[in-house]
Amino acid sequence: MVLIKIAWRSIWRSKVRSSVVILAIAFGLLGGLFSSAWMNGMADPRVQDTFDLETGHIQIHHPDFPENEDVKYTISGIEGKLAQLRANAQVKSVTKRIRVVGMAATANKNMGVSITGIDPETEKSVFALYKKVDTLTGTFFAGDKRNQIVISKALADELKARVKSKIVLTFQDYNGEITGAAFKVVGIYKTDNTPWDKLHVFVRNRDLGRVLEIPADEAHEIVVRIENFEEASMIRQELANVFPELLVEDWAELSPYVRLMSGYMDTMMALFMVIILGALGFGIVNTMLMVVLERTKELGMLMAIGMTRRRIFLMILFETVFLALVGAIVGEILSVLVIHYFGQTGIDLSNYAEGMESVGYSAMTYPMLEPYRYIQITILVVITSIIASIYPALKALKLEPAEAIRTL
Amino acid sequence: MSIIEVKNLTKTYHDTEIPVHAVNGIDLSFEQGEFTAIVGPSGCGKTTLMNMIGGLEKPTSGEVRVDGSVMSELSSHDLIDFRLRNIGFVFQAYNLIPVLTAKENVEFIMQLQNWDKKKMDERTVSLLKSVGLEDKIHNKPNQLSGGQQQRVAVARALASKPKFVLADEPTANLDSSATNQLLDIMERLNQEEKITFIFATHDQRVMDKARRVITLDDGKVISDTKQI
Repeated sequence: MVLIKIAWRSIWRSKVRSSVVILAIAFGLLGGLFSSAWMNGMADPRVQDTFDLETGHIQIHHPDFPENEDVKYTISGIEGKLAQLRANAQVKSVTKRIRVVGMAATANKNMGVSITGIDPETEKSVFALYKKVDTLTGTFFAGDKRNQIVISKALADELKARVKSKIVLTFQDYNGEITGAAFKVVGIYKTDNTPWDKLHVFVRNRDLGRVLEIPADEAHEIVVRIENFEEASMIRQELANVFPELLVEDWAELSPYVRLMSGYMDTMMALFMVIILGALGFGIVNTMLMVVLERTKELGMLMAIGMTRRRIFLMILFETVFLALVGAIVGEILSVLVIHYFGQTGIDLSNYAEGMESVGYSAMTYPMLEPYRYIQITILVVITSIIASIYPALKALKLEPAEAIRTL
Repeated sequence: MSIIEVKNLTKTYHDTEIPVHAVNGIDLSFEQGEFTAIVGPSGCGKTTLMNMIGGLEKPTSGEVRVDGSVMSELSSHDLIDFRLRNIGFVFQAYNLIPVLTAKENVEFIMQLQNWDKKKMDERTVSLLKSVGLEDKIHNKPNQLSGGQQQRVAVARALASKPKFVLADEPTANLDSSATNQLLDIMERLNQEEKITFIFATHDQRVMDKARRVITLDDGKVISDTKQI
């Protein structure tokens, strides 16, 4: 106990020096944590958007469908399979989709598009595209009118279309014949991923199925939403056992880029922390060496009057850990405040919005950091300071009491 | 009965081209309750002799035996523990722990020995009272005068009831009044607690108080007189 008391009070002997070290640790951590939070704030919405707009958590297809998205590779008995999935406790929601690649044309221009047939109500339980529709000018499907279409603002601009415009979709039907139909724009959406927006249009399943001549109880895709996306791999395996004749894939398989990005962000954060903690460690070694040098006489006296080398070692270790912990706590408080502030107001990168959105990132970034990261960094700071204390402590242990006391 | 026996003790330093014989074949013994001054000119070997008696330096040859234990035969760890339990130190520059109060400095030695808190409190207060610092127990060293700091150092040296106290130039940094006060306190504690005090000093006032004066020169004892 007395060692802890001495160690704690010793930090404040040289207030200026300790404050400099504490502030260095605090600002180092602030820089590291804020950068991590910023990267998280950029990456997480991108990952979330992938789930909400592109992949859901798990998708089920005919095994040959993903290769070239041929219309004839459907899942038969679709309603029975949906009912089976809804009965599964791990499944939060499901929807079915019909998909085909075709051309969208207005009087002004033709564009290649991916046409997705959806059931708007079940779609809302799996995907969040409906939230991206500009409700001032349109809707995410309404009423029973046939041949409604929702397109993106980016595509609308290219095709010079707007709500109530007519768009003609042409594609190959179930029997390999070129077919098409005219659709009326009922809603225009906009996400943060412009390339994706330009490529995707949405119509009702029943309208697309009729034109494609797909049998009533068939569709190309089942999309599953689960509670926790991190369990997707495990649940995918279970569903693969339930539907051995079908191809079941989770989000990581469907979007390797997102999986890579998620892992990349973790690696970057780890790298940032290694650099910051390394610098912190060397700073601490330097400071504690100065402390040992300055207190040579005192350490010699402590050894002379009966303090064992183990206790001397512990005293220096405690002092180092306390110094680093104070810096860590100050740094974490600053980080929480700064990250919370920018988490609320956001960081506006609209000057670079076009560039950001062309790679699928939002122009507004809201830094965020999971609470466990703060605990993790505290533990890492303590470990770093323990390691950093070893060399100065060993230096102290080499002192001979009689020589040390003679030191001026 | 002798509590310290010094037999044919030598210490030679080889730090320079010519070996320096700081202590050169000293034989001495110290009885329980002595109040002894080791005197002599600078460089005569007083501090080296004190360091070897206190187990802070190993002799080149010869031995120091305290209560039957040969100091140079103890392991480094055992030696530290031996010092903790048997020897009190008072240094010229006081050497208190600057971040602890007077009371905490005195308690420190007892805490290292895991004393019971109540006993420790009683002993600390009693010692600080006996050195006349009962009103300064919560002051840190930088809030005390030199004389007061040295009195705390004496209380600390006596805290664990050592067999003897080694005081190296304890009055060198003190003015006359503080010196007299300190010596009176140490003399009283010597008589009351029967603790042996050994001083290394050039201070005539210490010599005047000492009941035995050992004079060294060139690392040898040149006189050893007992005063009545």
